[in-house]
Amino acid sequence: MGGLKTEEFIVNMGPQHPSTHGVCRLMLTMDGEIVKKIEPVIGYLHRALEKICENRTYAQCIPISDRFEYVTAMSCNQVFSMAAERLAGIEIPERAEYIRVIMLELNRIASHLIFYGVTAMDIGALTPFLYGLREREAIIDLFEMTCGQRLTYNYIRPGGVSKDLPKEFVPQCRSTIAMIKEKLNDYEGLLNENPIWLARTKGVGYLDPKLAIAYGVSGPVLRASGVDYDIRRDDPYSIYDRFDWKVCTRPNGDTYDRYLIRLDEIKQSIKIIEQALDGLPEGNIKAKVSPNFKPPAGENYARVENSRGELGTYMQSTGEKKPLRVKMRGGSFCQLQALPHFGTECFIADLVAIFASLDIILPEVDR
Amino acid sequence: MTKEQLQTAITEKLGDKMTLLDTGRHDLMYEVKRENLLEVCKTLKDDESLAFDYYLNSHGVDTKEKFEVVYNLASIIHKTRIDFKVILPYDSAEIESVQTIWPGANWFEREMWELYGINVLNHDNLTRFLLADDWDKGFPMRKDWDAPGFIRMPEL
Repeated sequence: MGGLKTEEFIVNMGPQHPSTHGVCRLMLTMDGEIVKKIEPVIGYLHRALEKICENRTYAQCIPISDRFEYVTAMSCNQVFSMAAERLAGIEIPERAEYIRVIMLELNRIASHLIFYGVTAMDIGALTPFLYGLREREAIIDLFEMTCGQRLTYNYIRPGGVSKDLPKEFVPQCRSTIAMIKEKLNDYEGLLNENPIWLARTKGVGYLDPKLAIAYGVSGPVLRASGVDYDIRRDDPYSIYDRFDWKVCTRPNGDTYDRYLIRLDEIKQSIKIIEQALDGLPEGNIKAKVSPNFKPPAGENYARVENSRGELGTYMQSTGEKKPLRVKMRGGSFCQLQALPHFGTECFIADLVAIFASLDIILPEVDR
Repeated sequence: MTKEQLQTAITEKLGDKMTLLDTGRHDLMYEVKRENLLEVCKTLKDDESLAFDYYLNSHGVDTKEKFEVVYNLASIIHKTRIDFKVILPYDSAEIESVQTIWPGANWFEREMWELYGINVLNHDNLTRFLLADDWDKGFPMRKDWDAPGFIRMPEL
């Protein structure tokens, strides 16, 4: 084939591409079928959320935070409330803390179920998508019965939560997590030893732990590379230190491990929810907080572990009722930044699998 | 490592270059002079008793009098957290890039350059990021910038 002329060429993946989970554009430099260089182009969903927050009171910012990362909006409410509570020195009632933990973990399960479905669908298996969304629906019903919303909850507020649990919540929550526990066997049976799944994911997209730390990669993606780091345990917030659970890690750092770790985490979340339901105390659900409270001048960075890694909010107050600066930091931002450094030298079809396994959500990147 | 131990370690290693501020509400908050930035960052990352290898976040703040650049770091080994900020005057808003120390700083600095107009020196890719490619309407995160047609909400 000596006379055949070859050259590198550029392919645009996205912004409207089913596997980019939003509007992300990847400019790929290709050598035949092999990806040589990736350049992410973002900003299609930039809505200036941080600027909007500067013109609103702290309580009015909470619905904005829902739009930041809508798949786990509870975590966004939580991290936002935490930052404001630390600024103003607000103590949260015991019952509210328990309710928060239950909601956060339910939301984590719901998010991982979406991950399970859409990742499999990106790689070409349709059935897991139907399974994942069916079980997620049961969790969304729990949220709907509590706060009336299915996606953007505005439920966790500075000082506590907005509404108490309805009396049928606890039994229905117990039956839902028991059901999900049982269905997990189906999930594992569908994919864990499926030869096509193994061929598409095993050894694909190896992420070195050193590279992951250098680029600030966090959450399940970091732990799938063998780094034992979870904010719930290592920088404890709320009441996570009271429960008996363990941080899951996987050693290989490939797409298959990034998939397995999500299933591991669902099991741990179920464990936490069971304990929180057992220990749920009676009492107040909200501390007395004025709607236009003015925290004293100061600043802090609050962080929680959500299903996509570290979710952080920096908040600076000057003593007014509106924040001087709000900065939101999402896990997807760093994961996408790291992608060009480990996602190359593979087929374009593998890149789809790698991208899906990072579980990136674009509103969090663009804000 | 507890917060007190961390504070002692910082005083020991970088006491003359980092000043503790009392505005931090949860984690330690320091101020660093602009000329010491790279030296402080190197020590924070490479010194074994500090080992801040995990770059979480950085961003600009406009206080109407000056710019602040805030860095949030964590250590995976010691499980500690630290924040520090560099204060920049309005008329010479430029700062050294820290991406040679933490590669993850790249995009955060790019965002800061674009939204605040803070010039980042020795950065390898200062190009349009979140805003449109042909954006020419200034730096939207600055306090004196309002969107065209923006009407402020009435005070409650």
